[in-house]
Amino acid sequence: MNQNVLKRDCKELHAFPHIIEFAYKKNNTIQFDSLKRETSEFLRFYYVIDGRFDWMIDNQHHILYPGDLAIIFPGQSFGGEKDLLDIGTVSWLQLEFRPNHSGTFELGKWTRLNEGECRNIIKILLINQTSILPMLKEAATLFQTISVELLKQEIGFTARINQTIDELFILIARQLSRQNNARRDFPKSFLKLEESLRADLSHHWTVEEMAAIVGLGITAFTEKVKNYSGFSPLNYLINIRISEAIKLLKRPDVNVTDIALDTGFYSSQHFATTFKKLTGYTPSEFRKKNITPTE
Amino acid sequence: MDCIVTIEIGTGAIRVTAFDMNSSLLGSAKGSYPTFHARPDYSEQDPEQIFITMLYILKNFLNEKIHPQKHNIVSICFSSAMHSVLPIDKFGAPIGNAMVWSDNRAKIEAEDLKNSELGKSLYKVTGTPLHAMSPLNKITWLKNNDSERFKASKKFLSIKAYIIQQLTDEYVIDHSVASATGFLNIHQLRWEEEALKRAGITKQHLPELVSVLYSPKSLKKEYQTLLGLHDKIKIIVGSSDGCMATLGAGVWGDGKATITIEESGAVRVVGKEVIQDEQQRIFNYILTEGNYVTGGPTNNAGSTFEWYAKQFGDFTRDYELEECIENMILDAAKVSPGSEGLIFLPYLQGERAPMWNPNARGVYFGLNIKHELKHFVRATIEGVLFAFYSIGKTLQEHRGFKSLSANGTYASFPLLTQIIADIFNLPVHIKMNSGSDSVACGGFLLSATELGMYKSLDEAAQKVKLLANFHPDFHNHSIYMKHYEIFERLGVKLHDEFAAIARLQQDT
Repeated sequence: MNQNVLKRDCKELHAFPHIIEFAYKKNNTIQFDSLKRETSEFLRFYYVIDGRFDWMIDNQHHILYPGDLAIIFPGQSFGGEKDLLDIGTVSWLQLEFRPNHSGTFELGKWTRLNEGECRNIIKILLINQTSILPMLKEAATLFQTISVELLKQEIGFTARINQTIDELFILIARQLSRQNNARRDFPKSFLKLEESLRADLSHHWTVEEMAAIVGLGITAFTEKVKNYSGFSPLNYLINIRISEAIKLLKRPDVNVTDIALDTGFYSSQHFATTFKKLTGYTPSEFRKKNITPTE
Repeated sequence: MDCIVTIEIGTGAIRVTAFDMNSSLLGSAKGSYPTFHARPDYSEQDPEQIFITMLYILKNFLNEKIHPQKHNIVSICFSSAMHSVLPIDKFGAPIGNAMVWSDNRAKIEAEDLKNSELGKSLYKVTGTPLHAMSPLNKITWLKNNDSERFKASKKFLSIKAYIIQQLTDEYVIDHSVASATGFLNIHQLRWEEEALKRAGITKQHLPELVSVLYSPKSLKKEYQTLLGLHDKIKIIVGSSDGCMATLGAGVWGDGKATITIEESGAVRVVGKEVIQDEQQRIFNYILTEGNYVTGGPTNNAGSTFEWYAKQFGDFTRDYELEECIENMILDAAKVSPGSEGLIFLPYLQGERAPMWNPNARGVYFGLNIKHELKHFVRATIEGVLFAFYSIGKTLQEHRGFKSLSANGTYASFPLLTQIIADIFNLPVHIKMNSGSDSVACGGFLLSATELGMYKSLDEAAQKVKLLANFHPDFHNHSIYMKHYEIFERLGVKLHDEFAAIARLQQDT
């Protein structure tokens, strides 16, 4: 295997403005300051092929062995524990990964994943914030493919490389979901889902996104949620939205339209209709009649 | 057709059940809500989420199962888990989440009180063990550690008191739930001044005390319309779930005890008198005036089986957790009583009755080279049931019983019920057609008695049809007793080591 370290602006990467750096490196010597700890503004994947690497990711010490994949998010610090690259073989990919104007992260135009899938994958990455995926053997061929395609530049290489990066994202997202291990401990996964929903209640969640967090397919997810909670996933979500809305309505300083949008309703009309259906009150009636002085 | 509806506000879920007047089940529905653990010792629930879940489930249930059949609801009876605390502000709005029974943050307050003279006298008058679960200690914790929230709190409600206030505008707490707060003088049915003083509150900070049969004036108009209920329906505030389950298990009067195996568990007896235990090992809660439910709770029942199944269960063939537990119990049946000398102390989450030691931890003892995974399975089950037996034994020091009634999710496994019969050396009854749970059934019996269908609760409890399916095997009993002796001694002997290991675990 030939080794290569390609950085943005080199001719091999011309067709890939989203790739900041790609490397497939066999490291035979220890050099001081060869991997200094620094904060990165890109999304980085490091895959260990051979050897043992002592790394600091987001101020946590990790030891990586062959087959392990490290994920470093923009804003996290990364580097060798002794600021150097250990002896061994490692491949890495750095990608442009920034929030767009509305504050959500995007992969970019290069991907062939559709919009919904992209959103789900990014959501899973961000919610888990996991640094290490151990023994991700399937990633080996993906890194190798990227490396070979970049070197040979045969016909169709742009498509193949972008496709392989898509595959890498899919592999990582699936692995992260599976780690949640919903089958073994559904209540725990469900609690995690609940916390994710509450942390971002104004987001217009889809069942696909919710299922992905728990690590189940949509059909199995819907059935399990129904069984466990007594509600369909979307009704469960509405319950949380209304519960939060009730809390805000009991604070006289927040206006009803803000409450509607903060708790994830499309409009104050949509909020009022749903609220009335569930509680029998319109939001403003509820506010008026449910403040009961305790004295 | 007339019917009675019960609403059970449990630890993890609301359950709505309807019965016809012959106590036959018309249907039931369940909706769950989560418990949040912001810190290891914290267990909290969102009161608005519980309320909205209750409304949603009740509304759908009525619209699907009751109204289309033109059933006429004559009474709605509530019950709830014990020991919850929900502070509300001057407008009646909750300040933060409710602390539920398993919230352990007040353990230092509890320990302090337990070791004091005041503690001894409070245990005698209130009947509530001096444990972190008790609202007395929880509110003391708020006073000592969160003075901002404490000062803003105009009242401290239970979750059920909050739900009833939302529905009816009345701030009330029934004697049963109140008797588990640590504030109620259970002999005189009034708030105990010394307890209030300890927590830094007055009786104005607590809801008005009412009988479990108390009926609030009416549901708010909006909820009547929403739910399609008329204002003649008798709302009964009801009791705690523990007391309700005891009534619903048909255990009323002398010579009987009930054993409940859910996530956690309890052994209970019923009597006309409070039982005073010098070592403060048991609780005395009120169902109705003059009827006391006495017993002891364990932390480690179904939760221990689930832990075992998650760690060691076989998930390779896409099994769900429930199936794993069933398979595990099948495996246990292949091992003889006593697990060939393997003993398990089940104290994964510390233990309440009878040792009341939050530092207690799990132990497998007596392991030898011939033991296999199936021995662990059986030892785990036997260890959990030995813990129930140790509670039963404590109760028997005060009041004997000659039979047991088993209820709860795990009581329906015949192997477990048989082991209970053998360990206790007593016949074990389970309820016939147990389509409804004991708590709902208790709610029905309480309502029906109040409506005049039965002369007394004693008569009502007799209506519960029990089957004596499980008879003790004396040979097995004597094997279990030889193992139990070691089990009991280990729990005592390891006291210092439990404290030491709990300290180590705290640091990591």
